[in-house]
Amino acid sequence: MSAIESANVDVPRLRYAAVSKWYGQVSALSEVSFEVGREVVGLVGRNGAGKSTLMKLATGLLRPSLGEVRIDGHLAATTEANAVLGFSPDLDKLYERCTGRQFVAWMLRLHGFSGRAAFARAGEVLDELGLGAHMGRRIREYSKGMRQRVRLAQALAHGPRVLLLDEPMTGLDPIARHELSEHVRRLGKSGLGVLVSSHVLHELEAIVDRVALVHQGRLIAEGAVSLLRDQLREQPHRIRIASSDARALAGRLTPFAHVIGLEIRDDSLDVALSGEPGFYKALTAIAAEPTSLVLGVRPLDDSLASVFGYLVG
Amino acid sequence: MRNLRAVFEVARQTSRLLCMDRLYLLLWLLMVGGGVMVFLVGFRMTKLVDGTVLFAGSAWWMLGTVTIPWTTSYLCVQAVHGDVEDRTFQYLFVRPVPRWTVLLGKVLAACFLSSICHAFGAGMMLLGASFHEDRWPNGIDPSLFATMLAALTMLVVGYGAIASFFAARFRRPLIWCAAFVIFGAMFLPMLPAKAGLRVATLADPVRRFLFDRLDPNPRFVEVLWPSERGFTEDLIGEPLWNVAIVIGIGLGLALLSYSRAEYDSRERE
Repeated sequence: MSAIESANVDVPRLRYAAVSKWYGQVSALSEVSFEVGREVVGLVGRNGAGKSTLMKLATGLLRPSLGEVRIDGHLAATTEANAVLGFSPDLDKLYERCTGRQFVAWMLRLHGFSGRAAFARAGEVLDELGLGAHMGRRIREYSKGMRQRVRLAQALAHGPRVLLLDEPMTGLDPIARHELSEHVRRLGKSGLGVLVSSHVLHELEAIVDRVALVHQGRLIAEGAVSLLRDQLREQPHRIRIASSDARALAGRLTPFAHVIGLEIRDDSLDVALSGEPGFYKALTAIAAEPTSLVLGVRPLDDSLASVFGYLVG
Repeated sequence: MRNLRAVFEVARQTSRLLCMDRLYLLLWLLMVGGGVMVFLVGFRMTKLVDGTVLFAGSAWWMLGTVTIPWTTSYLCVQAVHGDVEDRTFQYLFVRPVPRWTVLLGKVLAACFLSSICHAFGAGMMLLGASFHEDRWPNGIDPSLFATMLAALTMLVVGYGAIASFFAARFRRPLIWCAAFVIFGAMFLPMLPAKAGLRVATLADPVRRFLFDRLDPNPRFVEVLWPSERGFTEDLIGEPLWNVAIVIGIGLGLALLSYSRAEYDSRERE
């Protein structure tokens, strides 16, 4: 029976329970709670939103100021939790003078693999990830995509139940992104709990079952991407449209039923919406006209800014 | 048992990485140079200086007070803080081994590499001194080399323990190490016996250990402790305990810092 199969199916793979984290006076996370089951969950937010902090709390690199994080039922940062955890950090740092195979094998040795078994397993994993022909080269000679695969290999080689991928798509070319996406999707189907972070939602949209949106250290939305989009459509919200002729634009938008308020400013127009069905489509059409009526759009509701930015912008 | 295995595995990996450090390779060359230096100095020294003083004095001043403090501190900082600096500690800290095993493994590697290199250096120096047969009327006593090796190893472990604390605790550990080496290895131990603070250093108790194990004739004492004119055997005290306390405090604080620290990957304001 594999490690994945032997796990208790009732226990979430990863669980954040009312987790807060402060750095002195600065609050990095505030009462974040969510779970990752046998699925791929995307952790989305702008740079500095708290994604990496959430990842590091699960790895034990940081300790929560309040609340707790559990990996497969074990408290994070314990040896039991680390035994079933795979982590690929966001920083592109590795043991530059080692070969890819050597590096992965060294990490496996710390999971209790014998020297020979570690070397063999490292070769297998790197081969699966498409680095078979290059695993004997020094890491400092690798391209960004190859380095990303080594990071992924060291996270996967010991057969974890929970996989944390921090910004794995950064710096990858489209082909490498596609290959990585395919691999992550397969991992999710094999029963792993995968939490993958990105500040660009569309990178993750094709591979995740759910997303968790983090903004200024708070979890502001969670669920399937399509569901979140639907919810947003029903939410009243305000936007500011930069325009070369705000008055003319106001005239064009007045007929829309969901427009419940307009405020003309010097070079922009503030619009209050009761929902958005059809509105953004029409706005896009106006923007495409050669009149420069729409120069830019940004949300005015701070709490919704992040959701808006990712789901609409 | 599993933790012990982890210590040795981390030590093995760290040793491999440190061996690729150019400064470490240069240290080996310096050790060869040390042997040549002793050989040449032997021609210039007065005939009153016997082989023991020539060898032990040279080894003490070159290895004990210069290369061991500086290079052991450097290697230890590279091993412990290098990971923190370049963020590769993240790969080690997510493994199912306690952090203390990681730290001990790294310190072990740094101390091991420093020890074998300095043992080689001491061997080269003894070889250099051995060419001056007239300075060894009774032949070379093998225990002289063994005692010097024990003393140098104590220094290596001591400086390794202190440097590991600085590396685990501070953002600029090399500056702290430099301050400690200059003050605690080069200044304080040079004070005469009445300065009680010298006991808290590593050089002073290890020097007293050498006096205890080797025959402390006045010339030998004069070479190793120039500022002390009225040396008596009463001053020897408990050198091993003194060294053990310094090592224990250094390593204990290092383990505590390393186990509890959050080496976050980003600066916070």
